[in-house]
Amino acid sequence: MTVITRNHVVTAGAGHRPMIFAHGFGCDQNMWRLVAPAFEADHLTVLFDHVGAGRSDLAAYDAGKYSSLDGYADDLVEIGRALDVTGGVFVGHSVSAMIGVLASLKAPELFESLVLVGPSPRYIDAEGYFGGFTAAQIEELLASLADNHMGWSAAMAPAIMGNADRPELGEELTNSFCRTDPAIARQFARTTFTADNRADLGRVTARTLILQCSDDIIAPEAVGAYVRDNIPGSEMKVLRATGHCPNLSAPAEVIAAIRDFI
Amino acid sequence: MPGTADDDLVDLYENAPCGYLSLGPDGRIVRSNQTLSGWLGLGPEQLRGKRLRDLLSIAGQIFYETHFAPLLRMQGFFDEVALDLVRADGKPLHVLANAAERRDAEGELLFTRVTLFRATERRRYERELVDATETAQAESRLSRGQLLAEHETAELREQFIAVLGHDLRNPLAAIDGGTNLLMREPQSEKSQRVIGLIRGSVLRMSGLIDNVMDFARGRLGGGLQLNRSSKPLALTLEQVVGELQTSYPERRIELNVDPAAQLAADHARLAQMFSNLLANAITHGAIDQPVRVDAVLGPGGLQLAVVNAGPAIPPAAMQQLFQPFYRSNPHSRVQGLGLGLYIASQIAEAHGGRLDVTSDATETRFTFRMPLSDGPA
Repeated sequence: MTVITRNHVVTAGAGHRPMIFAHGFGCDQNMWRLVAPAFEADHLTVLFDHVGAGRSDLAAYDAGKYSSLDGYADDLVEIGRALDVTGGVFVGHSVSAMIGVLASLKAPELFESLVLVGPSPRYIDAEGYFGGFTAAQIEELLASLADNHMGWSAAMAPAIMGNADRPELGEELTNSFCRTDPAIARQFARTTFTADNRADLGRVTARTLILQCSDDIIAPEAVGAYVRDNIPGSEMKVLRATGHCPNLSAPAEVIAAIRDFI
Repeated sequence: MPGTADDDLVDLYENAPCGYLSLGPDGRIVRSNQTLSGWLGLGPEQLRGKRLRDLLSIAGQIFYETHFAPLLRMQGFFDEVALDLVRADGKPLHVLANAAERRDAEGELLFTRVTLFRATERRRYERELVDATETAQAESRLSRGQLLAEHETAELREQFIAVLGHDLRNPLAAIDGGTNLLMREPQSEKSQRVIGLIRGSVLRMSGLIDNVMDFARGRLGGGLQLNRSSKPLALTLEQVVGELQTSYPERRIELNVDPAAQLAADHARLAQMFSNLLANAITHGAIDQPVRVDAVLGPGGLQLAVVNAGPAIPPAAMQQLFQPFYRSNPHSRVQGLGLGLYIASQIAEAHGGRLDVTSDATETRFTFRMPLSDGPA
């Protein structure tokens, strides 16, 4: 089992500065399918699935290793090194923004630039810190996942079958999109929403761009501003796109912002 | 009743047996029907301008934003998504939702239609299924763990018993052999008496070890295996009487048995049982009265009675005599572990027979009865 098959690493394009795109909690590398191809002309693009998501090797899932974001960051470092990435660009969405920050601290040679889309170093409010959620709300989320109440297996399966309206999404693609083992999803949710990486921000040395959505309930603007204020020399761009997934809802705006930055 | 087809369509929309929502390109509600308003307790004007996620709990919002919103963007629709809406009164409204995007020729999003079906019963059913699965998994884990633990305990117990038996019996055999050697040489009268006492103690200890081993191995209570053979009954009984007589030379033991009677039984077990009964009679019987043993082998089977004189066993104690670790006087040091009568009764049962006791001021009588050969092996 190589890191390439373990994380279902897919590369495309060619160029002097490799770009690694990392998906967040919920779906898989298809999150980037409307964004990554725009960079293939000038860059080697690298897409992958976190272990437990998409078409990664579920057998490689280790509850201990992935109980903290460090486990995911270690994987990212392994992927970067396996592909001989140095001085590359990291683009991470949602929780993967912090995974990229951790990886850049573990292996500073990998990335000279970080693009953090909807980052949050801590989702739960703390004294003097606004994360957007109370501990009770996060517990409710984790409990509701455990209850299977959001329709994990029962309701997701029919939703991803067939797609007459958009035939360009082949069945293979739709079937893998957002497919997650419920037990792993629960653990990933716990790891994601109980993480606290505020202390790591100040040690970042890579150039950093924060892409902040308007009206993002998961990573509110105040949280994006906190990240900007704590990563030395970072800049934040507020997108017109609303919601938590501008890479899907406003790919052109995201592409333009990344291009301007790099 | 609506009069025209248009009115009928309006009525169908407003009062359909499902909730309807239309979202503008910005994801905000532009239209909804009466059915949904009734379910939620929110009028159409209160719903207008809200986003779908505003109708969800915080947990539901996170899940919606990380899963269903991207799914809708990717596929242009989602089907049968389970959502928990929050009603005006704060109570949850369990629904299944279908959603479909409508885009123009350029691919720009025009609006998104959402249809909601109540799913309270279905949700309860799903919840019960999940609970049942989790319970079953937990129980299966538990019983696997217990099995493993019991298996380990049993293995450890077997090892312990084997070592214990070996360690206890070896020195006993050495003492027995030593007294045998001494008895072959001329000894003073005092020495002979001491050697007799030692041999009696060896016998008693050997019997105790047998009892403890049987009990510890859990081989009693149905687990007792018999090794039947046909032998003269008198031989087995006389041997036990002889051994105990050596230990208690001052006591009188009267044995009445037909010297020609042959009995098919596990004679080693029979001897163990008889030895326990006889030792019990000697220990508890009146010192100045003989212990009488009457063995009668007839067509109805074997009847073996061990009788001693002495005080009657109290009625309360009679109930417990055959229970393991029962001792009439828990502080007594001479009575052993209280396993003798229990094991005797188990051996009787294994032979398809039974052990009874009667006791009054005149005598105490333990009677073993067993059928001939056709009892369970």
